[in-house]
Amino acid sequence: MIEFDRTEKRMVLKLVFYGPALSGKTTNLLRLHDLLSREGRGELMVLDTRDDRTIFFDLLPFFLVTPGGLKIKVKVYTVPGQVKHDATRKAVLQRADGVAFIADSRVSEVANNYSSFENLEKNLAFVGIDIERIPLVIQFNKRDLSDIVPEADIERVWRPTGIPVFMASALEGWGVVETFSRLVELTYDSIDGKCGLSEGYGLDREDFVGRLTKRVQGS
Amino acid sequence: MKEGRETTGGIEYVVGAEKGIREIVRDEDVMPLLESALSAGASRVEVTDSRGGTLWACGASSGNNDSATVERRPVFLEGEPAGSLVVEASPGSQLRLNDLAGLLCAALNKIITNSLKRMLTTEIHTSVVNRTYEELLETNKRLRASESRYRELAENLDRKVQERTEELKRMHTRLIQQEKAASIGLLAAGVAHEINNPIGFISSNLNTLKRYISRFTEMMDFYRAAIEEADKAGGGITEAACRKWSDLKLDFIVRDVEELISQSLDGAERVRKIVSDLKGFSHVDDSKEDIVDLNTEIERTFNVLVHEIPEDAEIVKEFGSLPGFLCNPAMICQVFLNIILNSLQARRQGLKLHVSTKHVDGNITVAFSDNGPGIPEEVRNRIFEPFFTTKDVGAGTGLGLTVTLDIVTAYGGDIEVTSCPGKGTTFVIRLPAERREHVKVR
Repeated sequence: MIEFDRTEKRMVLKLVFYGPALSGKTTNLLRLHDLLSREGRGELMVLDTRDDRTIFFDLLPFFLVTPGGLKIKVKVYTVPGQVKHDATRKAVLQRADGVAFIADSRVSEVANNYSSFENLEKNLAFVGIDIERIPLVIQFNKRDLSDIVPEADIERVWRPTGIPVFMASALEGWGVVETFSRLVELTYDSIDGKCGLSEGYGLDREDFVGRLTKRVQGS
Repeated sequence: MKEGRETTGGIEYVVGAEKGIREIVRDEDVMPLLESALSAGASRVEVTDSRGGTLWACGASSGNNDSATVERRPVFLEGEPAGSLVVEASPGSQLRLNDLAGLLCAALNKIITNSLKRMLTTEIHTSVVNRTYEELLETNKRLRASESRYRELAENLDRKVQERTEELKRMHTRLIQQEKAASIGLLAAGVAHEINNPIGFISSNLNTLKRYISRFTEMMDFYRAAIEEADKAGGGITEAACRKWSDLKLDFIVRDVEELISQSLDGAERVRKIVSDLKGFSHVDDSKEDIVDLNTEIERTFNVLVHEIPEDAEIVKEFGSLPGFLCNPAMICQVFLNIILNSLQARRQGLKLHVSTKHVDGNITVAFSDNGPGIPEEVRNRIFEPFFTTKDVGAGTGLGLTVTLDIVTAYGGDIEVTSCPGKGTTFVIRLPAERREHVKVR
């Protein structure tokens, strides 16, 4: 958590889209920006890129005020996926409240997914976050392509871990909001326990998730 | 419960930490914009924070709050309303306030967004550079630590090897000493036997001499008394003396004394020689290196072994002329002794031992050939192994040939063994006449 000030009634949360290079983290954020209602969210901020590859991070902020008057800001970040930007990943991962791991479904990317997940485990430990406790969802992106790992195989590998897994095509725009919704749900559960969102500020889970994932009319 | 920034793993900068507009935007970014609005006809321009506090302002307020002359526009930070832009116009002004406010608002929000981006970029860049630098320092430190650890290991290894080498040297020296002690013990038994004979007749002779001396003394006493008597009575001494001389059988004794003394001297000389050979062989007085004639040393070795050599043994020596050889004589005698002893022990009856020396092409070769039973094929390559022995328990240390080879090797030489079971064995020792490097042999 970036900030929680009971006196000022401010809370700033951080969600991070992690994953190997070119797995579609920024595209996920772009889709969320397109699909979710303008109401209660800011503009997508894309920091400088190089050859269309993220070198710093992207940021999509959400705002809401609870019935109890608590102003909650949810900052959703992407990390740069390229191996060389590990220091930036560490900086972005600091104080994260939830992580969406965006994997590349292509068969050729299996090893990269694996090493990026290992990198996530290592960096979470580095910034003092317990991977067993942080809200974590996995999205297998690029399901629109043909040379992809079958869903059954993915299920078999990931089901035992208990981590929610989503199939998506950020390019086609499906599976993205579902991934995000689940991450927001898990994050609510985790924050509610610590900060008393429902008891202290009258914000229930459905309301929290509903406000953060409200779709643009007609989409 | 406002959380302070903790430092986890050396990262202090947190991406996403909240900032106020004033932290992000500089006066020089905003003020020209506000001033240009005044130039365009606005009477006052102000930027406030979300609570209405003034962040930047220029121009004088007309005090009029009429909606026709005051325009408010929201200012966003990270998409969140963070304050307002307030533009006032003088009453009656022809200024299109609405348009100006819209333009100003768009420009201000762009400035804020761009400044934020620049700041975020700079911050993360700085953080990454610092982090990378720290990691490099850390890596460097670890490398240094591991380097010094390896250096220490290497130094320790060197010391350990030296210690072990010292220990091995000490053990080796002790083994040689043991082997030497064993062969000297063997010699001592023979020497004792050999010394017995001369010492036997020397002591027997001395006993006889003691008796003879008492007779001389008696004769002397007789003379003294008789001379005193003659002084008083005058005469008759000669006859009485002759009688006494004859009674004491001094004629025989005078003859025999000479014989006894020369015999005893001869015996003493033999004792002296045996002891001298033994000393010379063991070189107990002299552990230094010297230039010696190996033929002499072989002779010396045979001399101390004389009692070990059976009566019927046939020893043939065929010595060539040899150059002086720089060595520790005790060591080289030990080599000869060990090989000769093996031959002597291999065959008690009808032993033929042929010893020859030569100086050819800068090498001195000493060959010992016997007609013993030979060395069985299966043990031939083990005879130089420490503690390998075919002799009965207690009869040999199993070190004789080991020590022999060690000594020869130390002098830069080698030993060649040829053996024909049932016919005999030949040991050929080859030593370089000029030692190329000085090896200290103890």
